[in-house]
Amino acid sequence: MIDITFGQPRGRCDGLRRRDFLRLGAVGPLGLSLASMMAAEKAGAASSSASASPGLRRARARSVLLVFLGGGLSHHDSFDPKPDALQEVRGKYGTIPTTVPGLRVGELLPRLAHRMQHFALVRSGTHENDHHETASNWVLSGRFGSPFGDHPSMGSVVAHETGFGGRLPPYVSVPRNPSFTWELGKSSWLGGRFESFSAGNPNEKEWRVRDLNRPSGVTDDMLARRRALLSAVDRLGGRVRGNDQLDTHDEFGRKAAELVLSPNARDAFSVEREPVALRDAYGRTDFGQSCLLARRLVEAGVRFVTVNYGGWDHHAKIFESLDKKLPELDMGLSALVTDLSNRGLLDETLLLVMGEFGRTPRINKDAGRDHWGRAGSLLFAGAGVRGGQVIGATDKEGAFVTERPVRPADVAWTVYEALGIDPKKILTTPEGRPVEILDQGSAVHDLYG
Amino acid sequence: MAGLLCLAAILAGMPRTNGGDGAEGACMAAVAVLPTAVSLQGVGERHRVLVEATGLPATEAVRWASSNPSVARVDERGVIEGVGAGRARVWCSMGGASNAVDVVVGEGREEAPSFRREVLPLLTRLGCNQGACHGKMAGQNGFRLSLRGYAPELDHRWITEELAGRRVDPSDPEGSLLIAKPLGRVPHEGLVRMEEGSREHRVLRDWIAARAPGPLPTGREPDPSRLEVLPGDRTYRAGDARPLVVRAHWPDGTARDVTWLAQFFSNDEAVARVTGEGVVTALREGETTVRAHYHGLVAAVRVTVPTGRLVEPWRFGKRRSAIDDAVFARLDALGIPPSPLCDDATFLRRAMLDAIGTLPNPEEVDAFLADGAPGKRERAVDAILRRREWADYWALQLADLLQNRRERDHDVRGVKGVRSFHAWLHGRLEAGAGWDQIAREVLTARGDSFQSPAVGYFVTVVGEKPPAESEAPDSVAQAFLGTRIGCARCHNHPLERYTQDDFHRFAAFFSRIHLERREPTKGGTELVTWSKERHEAGRRLSEAASKLAEAQSRLLAADAGDAAGKEARARDLEERRREHARWKREVEGLDRRPPSTVQPRTRETVEARPLDRSAMTWRPGGDAREELAAWITSTNNPLFAESMANRLWRHFMGAGLVEPVDDLRASNPPSNPALMALLARELRASGHDLRHVMRLVMTSRAYQLSSATVKGNESDRRFHSHYLARRLPAEVLADAVAVVTGVPERFDGQPVGVRAIQLPEPQTGSYFLSLFGRSDRVTACACERKGEVTLPQLLHLQNAGETMRRLSDREGLVHRLARRKGDLGEAVSELYRVALGRRPTSSELAAILPTLEGVPREEALRDVAWALLNSKEFNFNH
Repeated sequence: MIDITFGQPRGRCDGLRRRDFLRLGAVGPLGLSLASMMAAEKAGAASSSASASPGLRRARARSVLLVFLGGGLSHHDSFDPKPDALQEVRGKYGTIPTTVPGLRVGELLPRLAHRMQHFALVRSGTHENDHHETASNWVLSGRFGSPFGDHPSMGSVVAHETGFGGRLPPYVSVPRNPSFTWELGKSSWLGGRFESFSAGNPNEKEWRVRDLNRPSGVTDDMLARRRALLSAVDRLGGRVRGNDQLDTHDEFGRKAAELVLSPNARDAFSVEREPVALRDAYGRTDFGQSCLLARRLVEAGVRFVTVNYGGWDHHAKIFESLDKKLPELDMGLSALVTDLSNRGLLDETLLLVMGEFGRTPRINKDAGRDHWGRAGSLLFAGAGVRGGQVIGATDKEGAFVTERPVRPADVAWTVYEALGIDPKKILTTPEGRPVEILDQGSAVHDLYG
Repeated sequence: MAGLLCLAAILAGMPRTNGGDGAEGACMAAVAVLPTAVSLQGVGERHRVLVEATGLPATEAVRWASSNPSVARVDERGVIEGVGAGRARVWCSMGGASNAVDVVVGEGREEAPSFRREVLPLLTRLGCNQGACHGKMAGQNGFRLSLRGYAPELDHRWITEELAGRRVDPSDPEGSLLIAKPLGRVPHEGLVRMEEGSREHRVLRDWIAARAPGPLPTGREPDPSRLEVLPGDRTYRAGDARPLVVRAHWPDGTARDVTWLAQFFSNDEAVARVTGEGVVTALREGETTVRAHYHGLVAAVRVTVPTGRLVEPWRFGKRRSAIDDAVFARLDALGIPPSPLCDDATFLRRAMLDAIGTLPNPEEVDAFLADGAPGKRERAVDAILRRREWADYWALQLADLLQNRRERDHDVRGVKGVRSFHAWLHGRLEAGAGWDQIAREVLTARGDSFQSPAVGYFVTVVGEKPPAESEAPDSVAQAFLGTRIGCARCHNHPLERYTQDDFHRFAAFFSRIHLERREPTKGGTELVTWSKERHEAGRRLSEAASKLAEAQSRLLAADAGDAAGKEARARDLEERRREHARWKREVEGLDRRPPSTVQPRTRETVEARPLDRSAMTWRPGGDAREELAAWITSTNNPLFAESMANRLWRHFMGAGLVEPVDDLRASNPPSNPALMALLARELRASGHDLRHVMRLVMTSRAYQLSSATVKGNESDRRFHSHYLARRLPAEVLADAVAVVTGVPERFDGQPVGVRAIQLPEPQTGSYFLSLFGRSDRVTACACERKGEVTLPQLLHLQNAGETMRRLSDREGLVHRLARRKGDLGEAVSELYRVALGRRPTSSELAAILPTLEGVPREEALRDVAWALLNSKEFNFNH
């Protein structure tokens, strides 16, 4: 048989071609194309073992659960209070003690205060960008790019590196990817097959993960009849050979039918199976139920889950908003860490909480705080992280980092290393350009000390 | 030797049949040499000569001899080496045939290896400065080189000055790290790159021993101007292995064999491989390009490996146009049989989906099928291209290309601006404007975005960056010229001749764009073109003019009796006059200044130049974009017409002549150069009339071939032996689902009945459109529109509650058909006609109807509709 293919290089900056990329690029979530899925297991295994740099620690975590506080949580009013600063910096809230001696947090976080022994609090997150789009893409990928996201998000890289294990996609966003003007933290040049699978909002009434359940009213008989009809109707494939798109349509058609029939896959998304008391403990809020779903997904083997909890961009009347939002955060996050811990999942799950930046020290004329990339707080827990410690510090006004700066690349490095992914590994863009997963940074080793 | 002898089998350009078995006797024995004359600068320089024989058995031995071994000697591979100044002939004989090469050896002396001509190319060839090693921005283990040697001065400094001279040590060349590392004598993460005693080793050693001289200025050591790969495009048989020779040509007429300094790549290693020494091995039937790189230049040759099977002439059927001649000539040469013509119903559906993104309705299908007069497909094409949906569908295509979107939260034009640019594009297409005209209007758009909506193009591509540093140069090159220059922003383009200077000179055309953003209530975003300096000087000039006028009137009004006062006023007037003249000079000077920008690496100010480096003349105070638009759309610029021709061809044929469709470059030649030339010529000659080229393509036999494969063309994806079935684009599929369910989709902010192909904004919320890969228009890359088939798509097709709801809608098609009395088969047939543009065959009905026995009529029809919506025949254009 002849083999006349699209032999053109997709090359732009190097001799590597997209075909190689697909062949080596292996696996991905539900957006996967057939060819790469077939090659998945072996190629994925081969490429990761071949490239692991010597001395890389083995994986600490099976999964990563990222709580993303899109818009930018005010560190002053939550995890880095400055009770001795002037009123216009200090803000409205007092502070409360925590289970960690000497550590105080904002007064609207009493439940988390009781669980700080689980968390390493990093008060020295820092970078130099104050735009939502650019900063979000930066912190979500660990690499500085454009507001459109020049580099794939951590979740997409993880999907690319770990692959489609079992029936569940490796990368899920709850309810969906962050968005500010447009969707952020995307798979970028890794392509749609490594994009997150959007779970939707589990707090919505009658919520079902999109398209994973048969539509209501469709019986087994009907399903069988439709299958029979489809095979009677669908005859094009028999006449056309060698067309990958047509073959993929058939293959994924079968796979989709299996998924719908698979109780495991659907169960992972079924928050309604949780006891009512536990659901209530997380809070009957979008965030609370998203956290609960995230826990189920991690439990079922999803490798990277983003809980996207936006709405922290408080340029005006910040305290009115925080009065409502901080208790939601407090409730959901503390239920999550407790639940993970009770189930023994915390040992193998890295829990990370962050936004794209902190907020300005001085309260502005509209009683709000503005964007501030120079300082922000992050929380780490699980997967060997030593809880009950504070890493880094800001100055008296919470404006600048004075100790142990932690940059976006350091956070991403920590995440990759925790999963046993070599951050220096070189991936290839569709144009054939070799790009390191991270071009700088190092793990925040203090977390484990 | 064996590799060389294979050359005897086939001569380039010979008809394929002569390459077959037993063909040797068919032609006279002859030997050709390439090149026919060799000029060596001096003693020690070498040049290889290739031999090609016809009419001789492949096993025949080649013998070489020099007429004067004291001038030139030759080895058994045809490598000629200068021995002394003078002239000689080198003879090559094979069987009974022979031929000669004229050799001139000059007086040149052996000098220390040149850093730019030899050392850097060697480091490139050895892979030291590639992106994955020392060539990346951060270097590797403390040693950095510029990517593929684009910055010789920096490289020389990094090699010789860093690390206390341990990299090169003239007193101990062999101990220098530059030698010890690649030889693997000391641990090297990049492993062994060269062999002990190799030519590479000797050159590096000699260079270091000569105190590692740096790059000479280009005045003293000019850059080569052109690369040539011998023997050129050739046809191979699987298993053939033949050497290439790379010659670099300098502006002064000299040429050298730089094969040993060049890098080789095969664009498709499944078809042919090429070794680091430039030996091509054909592996399987097909075609690929092998390219050679040296000193920033690239040249490519086509390696064609036919199937060796004869395609019977009747298979090509009746040719309808020059397009068919060009397509079928390639298929014939490659030995790939074409599929037969598709049937009428398939043709109509295909043509309407491709040209206007719209399914034919049952009445249109019936009328077309009933038409018995000749030329009905041509008439259908004409009618389709005249339909009003044509402008809808092509405004969508152009809006993708021109990135019509809201540019983040600072785009004060808002949705309104995006809609007005879309409406403008739609209007230009409806009015029949040529692509060149549209291009010029977009590229030179100025003024307020409400009055001049095409300004939106620059609002998006310039964004908030300084214009010369924005995405504008990348986007313009990719959208209008189908070429990607982005690599050259930071380093010379590794696959093209574009240098970093070329990029920034091109960027300079945009340096004077200024976007005046206003509150939406106070008008749109205004595009003006002048520099900050010129803006300021202009302001000062008008101030000076009014002060001058004041002084004049004050003097006139002066009291005649007050001599002192009058004198003071006259002095003041003189002062004002000087001031005014000063600013006038300043403004005129600035107006004469050519548009420029700063090259970030060299920090030199560079003047605007188009990508072919042709000189520009500037009108004082003019808008450089006028010159740019003229250059882009000029008939001398082949890329403009070729890139649009290629886009159109790919749109209708499923595969571009060049792929990716917006990556035209010398190292990525078209799969059918004659066809590319033809389409580009037709486009230009018609005044860049898009419909003219569409009509040509759609009325060709090549376009009308069946998507069903025949034996021997199943794996062809490039040469158009059959129509490439492909998933419908997101918007077209969404509209098709609306037609089959009979329930239109409702889009936010749009009235009911607006079709997906008419949506102006890519940000209109729609899970379906995102899922099926509409373009977000963030870049000019055609790759933003995704045609791939994914698992969530299939999940959606099978299970979407929304589709179920539409299939059960009381206003929907299924419900209407269910209420209509009559035979179930008739209703099924109607669903077929709506969804697939044809009636079911009797065997299909025979398979469907028994499945539905005893099922309530509406439920049965719903299930059939579901099956149709999930079928490949519905989801694909085929």
